[in-house]
Amino acid sequence: MILEQLIGNLIQGLVLGAIYGMATMGLSLIFGVLRVVNVGHGAFIMVGAFIAWWLFSALGVIPILAIPVALVIGLALGFIFYYSVLRRLIKAPELASLLATFSIGVLLEETAKLIFGSEFRGYNWAVGKITLPMTVLPMTKLYACLGSVLIAVLLYIWFNKTRAGTAMRSVVEDSEGAKVCGVNVEGVYAMSFALGIGLTVVSGVLLTMFIPVGINPYMGGPYTLKAFVIAVLGGLASPYGAFFGGLVFGLIENGSYTLFAFLPGVEPFALTRFFSCMMLLVILLIRPTGLLRAK
Amino acid sequence: MRADPTKYYPLIPVYVAYLAMFLIGSNMTGMWQLMAMLAFYCALGQAFNIFLGMTGYVDFGYVAFLGVGTYGMALGITKLAHVEELGIGIIIIGLALAVVMATLLSLAVGAVALRLRGAYFAIATIGVNEGFRYFIEGAKIWNGSEGMIFTAELNQIFGRETASALSTFWADVLVLIIAAAAAFVTLYYMKSKIGYALTALREDEDAAKVMGIHVTKYKIIAFITSAVFAGLLGASAWALKTPYVFPPEVFEIHYTVEAIIIVLLGGAGTLLGPLVGGLIYGLSKYYLSIVLPGFQLLIFAPIIILIIVFFPEGIVGMLKNRVKGTALEQYVL
Amino acid sequence: MSLLKLDRVTKRFGGLLAVDHVSLEIEAGELIAIVGPNGAGKTTLFNIMSGVFIPDEGRVIFEGRDISRLPPYKRAPLGIGRTFQIPRPFSSATVRENIAIGAMFGTLGKKVSVDESLKIADRYIDMVGLQLHRGKAAGSLTPVEKKMMEIARALAMNPKLLLMDEAMAGMNPKDIDHMVAFLMRIKDEEKISVIAMVEHIMRAVAGLAERVMVMHQGAKLVDAATTEALSDPRVVEVYFGGAPKEFKKNWKKTNGPESDKGTA
Repeated sequence: MILEQLIGNLIQGLVLGAIYGMATMGLSLIFGVLRVVNVGHGAFIMVGAFIAWWLFSALGVIPILAIPVALVIGLALGFIFYYSVLRRLIKAPELASLLATFSIGVLLEETAKLIFGSEFRGYNWAVGKITLPMTVLPMTKLYACLGSVLIAVLLYIWFNKTRAGTAMRSVVEDSEGAKVCGVNVEGVYAMSFALGIGLTVVSGVLLTMFIPVGINPYMGGPYTLKAFVIAVLGGLASPYGAFFGGLVFGLIENGSYTLFAFLPGVEPFALTRFFSCMMLLVILLIRPTGLLRAK
Repeated sequence: MRADPTKYYPLIPVYVAYLAMFLIGSNMTGMWQLMAMLAFYCALGQAFNIFLGMTGYVDFGYVAFLGVGTYGMALGITKLAHVEELGIGIIIIGLALAVVMATLLSLAVGAVALRLRGAYFAIATIGVNEGFRYFIEGAKIWNGSEGMIFTAELNQIFGRETASALSTFWADVLVLIIAAAAAFVTLYYMKSKIGYALTALREDEDAAKVMGIHVTKYKIIAFITSAVFAGLLGASAWALKTPYVFPPEVFEIHYTVEAIIIVLLGGAGTLLGPLVGGLIYGLSKYYLSIVLPGFQLLIFAPIIILIIVFFPEGIVGMLKNRVKGTALEQYVL
Repeated sequence: MSLLKLDRVTKRFGGLLAVDHVSLEIEAGELIAIVGPNGAGKTTLFNIMSGVFIPDEGRVIFEGRDISRLPPYKRAPLGIGRTFQIPRPFSSATVRENIAIGAMFGTLGKKVSVDESLKIADRYIDMVGLQLHRGKAAGSLTPVEKKMMEIARALAMNPKLLLMDEAMAGMNPKDIDHMVAFLMRIKDEEKISVIAMVEHIMRAVAGLAERVMVMHQGAKLVDAATTEALSDPRVVEVYFGGAPKEFKKNWKKTNGPESDKGTA
């Protein structure tokens, strides 16, 4: 019984993990290039979730088609915040960029509250389900998972095969060196921030395909924390590390939840979150460059 | 250190302000609540400044120290309510518990997180705060997510009238005293080697080490000091004022952010900054909640961004440069 | 007993051998220059001496005591002061406070109060000629002023050994002459041993140090009296590749500070 439930939940965890991974790539990209931790990360996921919800429930647009819309809005938000705020803070002490990104997050949350109110929203896009050995998987979850993998692969190709992608990688490695080699570092910063935000907003759409309920202006908070754990698992500065970190995290989260649920006298949901916080601290301590990355 | 009275002149404007807050609150009808709120924000800023302002490290989990302080007082009151001889001593025990618990937590967090720098430190502190909250809820210690309510115990110990005076008056007085004490410690640190060491490590940690500064030691000193004041603040402004403790509330990250705003607005690392920041933040929050209820955060968020981008030194930081070379110089720090 | 002794210290970064079994002894009151092209391992060697890096092999012995594994903040109070290649002032603090920090945590350490440290700072401010900038934020100084402030800060530590990283990079000839004279003076008046690291301002080296150690690719190439070392064919080879003869004729002309912009 336990085993069956565990395996079932682990399959779900893997599917969710792919989405988690995708939802963290933007955070890692921004940190890798700009050395800025986007503390308002979760708010951008919330923006994506509202885009999916609104398009579906107001206009009947299916979430898959919401992805390009989310990407465009995300890129736009990224460029706006980069040129109005982040550009001026690249050389400032960390305190400045941490607080600025946090404030941007609050601004988005409060704006969402102003527009949509603070109640919980959800939508129901029923497109059937498939039965796997130990669990049942709605097709929407499968689409979300496949979408995440596809986006990760596209990003990989983009990084390695295009000029802009190569420029970005060179800045991650050594921004001074890249500057000397004629890379437009300023442009790469703007591009990376916008792309990071774009990816994050898209991941908000994908997340609602996995969990189509609980859409609310303040839903981002827990995702920010999860994204930190995942990013740290993957080495903080590496988008692919983040993707694999997401897979690992999805497995651990669902696995530990299943096991905690069998413990008497505890609250498994809270304990799972406690567990991921501990994971974060332990990894930061023993291996701040990430578990999945060679030194 | 030999006593040189001019060293302590910068405390004069700070103490005048706190005294004025007390006098306005106790003499003008209807003003006490507002003054109490301002005192809380000033004290919060003053306490957080000792770490954030003096070291430049961003602790996103700062509220956890207020949280454990609240638990310290709550535990003291609920566990010892039946010991009648204690009387007012139970408050002292509660405060002592708050100090001990805040110290222990800051030692534990410091040992782990203060090895990390910059963004890694900030992320770790978020993890600590959330982790601690979910540990309390998940393992169901101290009543787990249900929290603790101890109005009945307070009434039983002190009688209804005294208990009410405790939460509507004495708790706030205590907050003012904590603010004043934190200001004193800030100045004392600034004028001693601790302050010089902290300035050095804030500006350049590696250079500070080569200069002979044991940076970990000084970071821990600032961290514990700041945490102890936060614990005391939680015990008085939260536990005594509103006799309950509820995990999602006492670990709410927005309090940390309010503390950061106050310190930054006033001027990080200055003595007067947290006071100025606390007053401005508290007053504007109060009036915004009357004029535009529910929109405070929507208005604050862009303001913070503007401050960070255009006035990173804060109000007192700018003022300090203005009064340089004038007679006011020794009062503005 | 020598003041500082490096005994076959070695430091690797991944596959790169940054410092390769380097031994060196410096006596009390001696002034030596370490020269070598960029990437020769000089800065790594400095970092091993000041404790920023712990050597993979070999020992660092200071006044007879093995300090190889001692962290930097414990070495400073023993009497090792240093400056940095690119000055690293505590920018928001004033010049006076910066220098006082040196006094507070150096060898005098617990013996001096904050007030006494500030008085000591005043003395070194006068010595390096920064009187007009006493109350200015250190971040607002010019690069040369920052360099002087950093030297004053290191001297205020009252060190027995002063490590100077690229003391003269980016200076014009006049400043270099001043600096050389200044270093000679503090060596004699303050009784401090100095290890000065110089990328390739030979002129300064010739006027400054009695002894030179030349490094190349992480290893010690030559350790000898200055005149001897500078005419050593191996040194010439390292610096000027295949043109030793022209070099010998012209080295004084070609090694003015104009050719040193890359080190600034």
